[in-house]
Amino acid sequence: MASTVVSTAPQFDDAAQQRDASNLGIWIFLATEVLFFGVLFAAYTITRTQHPAAFAAGSRLTDLTLATINTALLLTSSLTMALGVHAAQSGARRATVGWLSLTVALGILFLAIKGLEYHADYVENLVPALNFSYAGAQASQVELFFYLYFVITGIHALHVFIGVVVISVVAYMASKNTFGPEYFTPVDLTGLYWHLVDIIWIFVYPLLYLVSRS
Amino acid sequence: MSSISVAQHENYLTADFRLWSWLTTLDHKRIAVLYTVSITLLFFVGGAAAALIRLNLLTPYSELVSIETYNKLFTMHGVIMVWFFLIPSIPTTLGNFLVPLMIGARDLAFPRLNLLSWYLYVIGALFAIESLIAGGVDTGWTFYTPFSTMFSNTHVFAAVAGVFIAGFSSILTGLNFIVTIHEMRAPGLSWFRLPLFIWAMYATSLILVLATPVLAMTLVLIAVEHFFRIGVFDPALGGDPLLFQHLFWFYSHPAVYIMIVPAMGVASEIIGCFARNRIFGYRFMAYAMLAIAAFGFVVWGHHMFVSGQSAYAGTVFSLLTFLVSVPSAIKVFNWTATLYKGRISFEAPMLYALGFVGLFTIGGLTGLFLASLGLDVQLHDTYFVVAHFHYIMVGGAVMAFFGGIHFWWPKVTGRMYSDAWARFAAIVTFVGFNLTFFPQFIVGYLGMPRRYPEYPPEFQLWNVLSSTGAVILALGYALPLFYLFRSLRDGPAAPSNPWNAKGLEWQTSSPPLPENFLRTPVVTEEPYSYSSDGPSHG
Amino acid sequence: MKQFSLAPIRTYFVSWCILLALLLLTLGSAFISLGWFNTAINLTISVTQAAIVLLFSMHLRSAHPTLRIAATIGFFGIAILIALSLSDVLTR
Repeated sequence: MASTVVSTAPQFDDAAQQRDASNLGIWIFLATEVLFFGVLFAAYTITRTQHPAAFAAGSRLTDLTLATINTALLLTSSLTMALGVHAAQSGARRATVGWLSLTVALGILFLAIKGLEYHADYVENLVPALNFSYAGAQASQVELFFYLYFVITGIHALHVFIGVVVISVVAYMASKNTFGPEYFTPVDLTGLYWHLVDIIWIFVYPLLYLVSRS
Repeated sequence: MSSISVAQHENYLTADFRLWSWLTTLDHKRIAVLYTVSITLLFFVGGAAAALIRLNLLTPYSELVSIETYNKLFTMHGVIMVWFFLIPSIPTTLGNFLVPLMIGARDLAFPRLNLLSWYLYVIGALFAIESLIAGGVDTGWTFYTPFSTMFSNTHVFAAVAGVFIAGFSSILTGLNFIVTIHEMRAPGLSWFRLPLFIWAMYATSLILVLATPVLAMTLVLIAVEHFFRIGVFDPALGGDPLLFQHLFWFYSHPAVYIMIVPAMGVASEIIGCFARNRIFGYRFMAYAMLAIAAFGFVVWGHHMFVSGQSAYAGTVFSLLTFLVSVPSAIKVFNWTATLYKGRISFEAPMLYALGFVGLFTIGGLTGLFLASLGLDVQLHDTYFVVAHFHYIMVGGAVMAFFGGIHFWWPKVTGRMYSDAWARFAAIVTFVGFNLTFFPQFIVGYLGMPRRYPEYPPEFQLWNVLSSTGAVILALGYALPLFYLFRSLRDGPAAPSNPWNAKGLEWQTSSPPLPENFLRTPVVTEEPYSYSSDGPSHG
Repeated sequence: MKQFSLAPIRTYFVSWCILLALLLLTLGSAFISLGWFNTAINLTISVTQAAIVLLFSMHLRSAHPTLRIAATIGFFGIAILIALSLSDVLTR
């Protein structure tokens, strides 16, 4: 069971108000993240509408195997995160630390595989502004596909990295027996963030990797 | 409730005099003061750019500055005034100070995020100033591509970084206000008993949190494209400059509502008080602000009528733009109706508020001309547009901001200022403003392009009138510095409710206690229950 | 606003299985040549997956209406951005 007593910050009337405010606050933050990434989806949509063949060609050059594995890993990390939140709310210290650590491990694995992907792209001369070289038609527009590919997956990976760091900190807090039924807000909020990072990837995957596989 | 005089209790100003206590404060009132100081400094930087612009335009040939410098002047004027003055202005100063007070709370929901938002603003401003000192930016505040990304050799990155960082300041403020208003209202304070200023802060905050992230990512894309010379905005590479414009204006049109909706909230508070009347059509006023916030998100294409956007999309955006004017018009009618059968007095705040209503109406009506596709072909990129948005942003928003400063000055500082000087300043500002910007409608209609340092000699009369007006306007803005600061030194102590106004903020001392209220108030009245009460000067 | 009560763990495992199944579905459908319909299927599956994560893992099923609005309003904003921008691009 949790050993710390949760204190209500002075601006709030009671713990319930504090919890409701935190919840609404994180959801508004998540809305801003949706809009933030949404710009990239909009840029992708417009550019692909204008250059459908180039986007198809570019997508075929991406590594479908690694991306599919990564998608499965991220979906699984969402499961372990949800189980971690559940454990924290139950006050099960060891289970909380275990599930959160597993989530961190899956996140790091995702980033490692992403690194492998980027390395392969580099070796195959698919990095815009660095060494991009494409022999087929509409090379310029295919380069635009890869520009968006790196920007979207790069910014997403940054969010995964931030998530990994925050979840690690929360796992540490959990190991100190901080959480229980009265107080598990940090785990809860972190979980919501992590699920959103997952949702973004759910859309990124088909748009970047499945455009023209048949 | 009896008024509590300044001397008897410690207030938020006297609680701790050390500078460190100010820089690490979590008190929303102190953060509001910090913001006020910062945005005033930035206002004068942006104003200096405007002064040089108007000086240069006294003669048809750019004799004061080079063409390159002129481009930098109007760019920095726009960047600073939009992002570092107008967008933060009312929300971070009056909003931060008043939101908890008006709803009977001890502070905002997230005081540390509030302090962080001020630091982000300052850091963003420093980046912008750095870009200015390093030589400026010449892309226009709109950063159109591919010029900003591929061709300009000015300090685009620093300016873009400054705006990006300041954007997060905006988002945090909006997030804080939404959560606070939802969760921390005093007992009895239901949504439809809220002052319209709170509704204004709420509607503005919705726009802040939904629009600003789009700007943030768009700026990232500019920076990446500028740095790596590859991107989706350059037609030479297969990209689309209109993609940038769609993304940019998706934020920047709602941004103008971030600038005007708070002013509408201020106007309602002032007009109710000095007409001694309930605000006519309270619910319509609240719904109208929400409607403006919502509709404001679907009209951005009216900035792109002549940029290559399809005629079909232009028609759709034109229609939607006409629709967005309706809630604003409803508000103007309702302010006017509030005056009917009121007992009107003309203290300085009221002069500013009435000026706001009139000038906002002119600005709004001229927006309808620009909303018509055919007319816009003639008027786009002329001084007609410049006059239109200055009537709304300066004649509207800045006037209301000054009105709000004067209305709540006694509450914030605990001092009364000289109303005679304040009324004089309001009138000088009103005259100076109209002399500056009305000629611009005329010369724009006659064909003078905007952002040009030179013009055909036959336009000189209008430009001289405008520049003369600018001098008077500058005087009008400078005057409050003197009598307001003097009030701090030897103005009479303010009672808790000098205007005999309704609203919870007037139920506590001037200046307020650090924790705002001795006991959490319980609300039983409808808002603006003025009709049965005495006059405003009590 | 009420705090949600502990959801059964089984819910999370079932959602996870459905999400993985949908992943296989979206991947598999990509190998069948259906023209623009491929993208439509992919995006429909993505929306379904996102809805499952939102409703179950993120507890929106039992959340206060305000939270549900906050959760979905971002997507509406992006929909407007893309829809109206496309209306320009497609009719030039």
